[in-house]
Amino acid sequence: MINSYGSSKGVSRKGGTFARRNLIIALPLIPLIAYLAFFFFWPMVMVVTDSLKNNDHHWSFINFTTITHKPYSTAFKNSILLGALSALFASIPGAIFAYIIEVRGSEKLKGFVTSLSGVLANTGGVPLAFMFIATFGAQGSAIKILKALGIDLYSGGFTLFSFTGIVFVYLYFQIPLMVIIFSPALHSIRNEWRDAAKNLGATPRKFWRTIGVPLLFPSFTASFLLLFASGFAAYATARAMTVGNIALVPLVIGTLVDGNVQVDQANVGKSLAVGMVIVSALAMIPYLIIQRRARRWQQ
Amino acid sequence: MRGKRLVVAATVAALFTTGLVVATAPAQAAGKINYCTAQNLTEAGGMDALVTAAKKEGTLNVITLASGWANYDEAIALFKKAFGIKIVNDNPDGSSAYELQTIKTAPDAKQPDVVDIGATHLGAESSDTLGRSLFTPYKVATWNDITPTWKDTNGLWYGDYQGTINIAYDSSVTPAPTKISDLSNPAYKGMVALGGDPSAATESFMSVFAASIAKGGSVDDIKPGIEFFRSMKQSGNFVTVPATGANLATGAFKIALSWSFNGPGFIQAAKGIGKDLKYVTPKDVVLKGSPYIQAINAKAPHCAAARLWEEFLYSENKGKFSKDLTPADIKQSGSKVFALIMGGQNIFNSGAAHPITEAAMIKKGTLIAPPAGFEIPAGVKVYSPTLDQQIPQQAVVKTMWPSVIQ
Amino acid sequence: MKKSLSIALPSTLAIAALFIFLPFGSSAEFSFRSYSPEGKLMHSFAPYQWILQQPEFMSHLLLSFKLSLIAVAFTAILVVPSVAWLHLKAQSFRSIIEVVTILPLVIPVVALSIGVQAAFPDWLQSTEYELPLMYVILSLPFTFRILDNGLQAIPLKTISEASRGLGANWPKTIIFVIAPVMRSAVAGAFFLTFALSLGEFTLTSLLHWDTFPTWVTSVSQQNIIGAIALSVFSLTVAFVVLLLVGLFSSQTKKRTEVAE
Repeated sequence: MINSYGSSKGVSRKGGTFARRNLIIALPLIPLIAYLAFFFFWPMVMVVTDSLKNNDHHWSFINFTTITHKPYSTAFKNSILLGALSALFASIPGAIFAYIIEVRGSEKLKGFVTSLSGVLANTGGVPLAFMFIATFGAQGSAIKILKALGIDLYSGGFTLFSFTGIVFVYLYFQIPLMVIIFSPALHSIRNEWRDAAKNLGATPRKFWRTIGVPLLFPSFTASFLLLFASGFAAYATARAMTVGNIALVPLVIGTLVDGNVQVDQANVGKSLAVGMVIVSALAMIPYLIIQRRARRWQQ
Repeated sequence: MRGKRLVVAATVAALFTTGLVVATAPAQAAGKINYCTAQNLTEAGGMDALVTAAKKEGTLNVITLASGWANYDEAIALFKKAFGIKIVNDNPDGSSAYELQTIKTAPDAKQPDVVDIGATHLGAESSDTLGRSLFTPYKVATWNDITPTWKDTNGLWYGDYQGTINIAYDSSVTPAPTKISDLSNPAYKGMVALGGDPSAATESFMSVFAASIAKGGSVDDIKPGIEFFRSMKQSGNFVTVPATGANLATGAFKIALSWSFNGPGFIQAAKGIGKDLKYVTPKDVVLKGSPYIQAINAKAPHCAAARLWEEFLYSENKGKFSKDLTPADIKQSGSKVFALIMGGQNIFNSGAAHPITEAAMIKKGTLIAPPAGFEIPAGVKVYSPTLDQQIPQQAVVKTMWPSVIQ
Repeated sequence: MKKSLSIALPSTLAIAALFIFLPFGSSAEFSFRSYSPEGKLMHSFAPYQWILQQPEFMSHLLLSFKLSLIAVAFTAILVVPSVAWLHLKAQSFRSIIEVVTILPLVIPVVALSIGVQAAFPDWLQSTEYELPLMYVILSLPFTFRILDNGLQAIPLKTISEASRGLGANWPKTIIFVIAPVMRSAVAGAFFLTFALSLGEFTLTSLLHWDTFPTWVTSVSQQNIIGAIALSVFSLTVAFVVLLLVGLFSSQTKKRTEVAE
């Protein structure tokens, strides 16, 4: 398999002009690219151009100067923190779980875990909020069980409807997301690698230090960044759980576009959206570099 | 294409108004009436013609009419049953801004026929040019009964009902709260909630306003209300959960400030989760909000149905609710069915809202009794901040609220 | 080491099951609640019976099913062949496509909905079929990865070259060689598209459509337990479909193994 990947590169260098060959190869990809262009990139371009207009439809940077000030800057700070914390607390258990499944699980179990993670990664909104309120709310089942065991979380100041609470709830879709994204990287550290290392006399510890961690670190970081972006952009769950007590960018956009009190500030909403895209894009740049390196490594 | 149709229609309408057809029976003219420009019932050819035309259109697009809100459920059910017109309700939980956004951005088929928006939005949207581009004028038959301050003289928009801020509480709470200023009672630790974010939702904004007046503020000063919630946050009384049914079910809150017209629906919903919810008009301050505003969308896809809906909502009839309507009733002519059913103003009233024609209806004796427990006690001063008073206070909430709850 | 790992799998699965089913189970318990007129708590199927009595339940569910299936069909004709081609011939484009397909995950749906309303022509926005077209985009980060991972485990190029070498033409190779080995990955991708489409709320509601998830949210105003029961129901449907897909793909796998 590894060889076969390498060979296509060799062939393309040999045969004809490189560009023309690439064009022919790209041809069957055109439907997908065209589809993305129309249904995804075009709408996003519209958002970007609208964000560059003021309320009188003239070109202006006014919206972007607005969003660098309070309260919008606070919202960006909170959202970035939420994305980072939820990514941190999801990526570690998610990676460990994915590793154990990859190494010990049967093919069937792996397939099942991927699909199940797919379902869970897509839970959100009112149903997810309710699941956690019913379990970890003041009267929730888990809280009651813990109380019976003598542990009173709420007396320790815990509440689900706080920043910490939201981070906690996000783990329900972030951990499965980590499993989906990180599992493929683990293919590169399959049993064979370990066996090879063992045959060469490496202890498990040495194996991890010299092979395992360096090999997985790029993929782990890449997955982390992706989780960051996902937590940063999530909307419906936070909306169902807060009354403006946590300023988050997606919620602020929602309020600007769909709020009751303030009047027409939709363009500020659009520039906030563009601001989000920029933050996500900044997170994606290291992701790209790392992915590229990782691919070279794996080959 | 739409523009072309309007030009033709306008020409036809112009012919009518020159007096050519005035003498002929309205029913015969029904086929030729342009309902998209009719500005009152006469221009719409009378009730029979309007009902026939609306039935022919077959559908009415409404928007953000939440279940349990001001008894709109009954209004929708009754209208559907009486006239056999399908009602499409876009995003029932959406906000006023969503309604305006939809008019501005949605394609023709998704345009609402009628809107029900918070009055604060009028500040920007009713300024003449904008209002005209969004709404089309229509004056209902009961136009003169609508409070003059709450209608556009040209008929672009008109208030429909108002609510008061009430205290909603789980009856297991002791002592039962009767005043807003009571809510800081240590017995209510971890119980008090708001419906949403006061800097985004009108109901919560008005709740903070009511608290302010109760704590020494005024219709020009919302700060004492914000400080009241700050102290309740610090004492642990105020919990930052949205006061929804699901959160009531899990015990996340037990007391909330809420529009009176959310009461009957919420009480009913709470029964389903084994909670005995009660609404009480606060003894220390009664705050009546600005009315919600009705208007017909200038781009309404169902012009006749939109006008029939407005006539229905402003009807002061004392008639039958949907459950009492028999098949024989519906077989009658449009105007007879209309005269038979409960008018929209009374439906609002049965949902603990104050209909805009309340004063006129009391005079005529057509107002039905509001649900028990929602009457405003006699002799109590009712506060109603005007739009000019609300707008600066909104800015105050917007800057101060984040520091309260973080 | 080996011993500790053999304990590791069951205990990991146990923790995962707890993590998944504790919140789900708590909701499920709520969904069976009903109350006597005196307010006494009982557990019964009453909320589920109530669901079945709602005429809007079936119409919304069927609509969501229909839209989800269309999204699956688009994934089938658009995404699956493209990813297969990337692995077969167009390796050099794989990393760029990978990056592009991750974008829908990181761009807020609220922002996308604004853009869609500004960009799409009226005729497209006037039909509910705009939704499955967008669901394909929203599920792309997941479907691409599932297909990509699945194909990485299969030496697709070697297999197809072998098949071609044995004299089979391209269509034959695709139908009889490539399609069968891709089955399990494709089933996973389909399932994911289906699950996401069935539950999508934000974009659907912002584009003014009324599907099963938006209906559930509006129901929660009048019947709280009914809405909880509906949420539990839809998650259960997703789990059941998942099991069926698992069953289906493992059966076909056996068959292809025999065939090989």
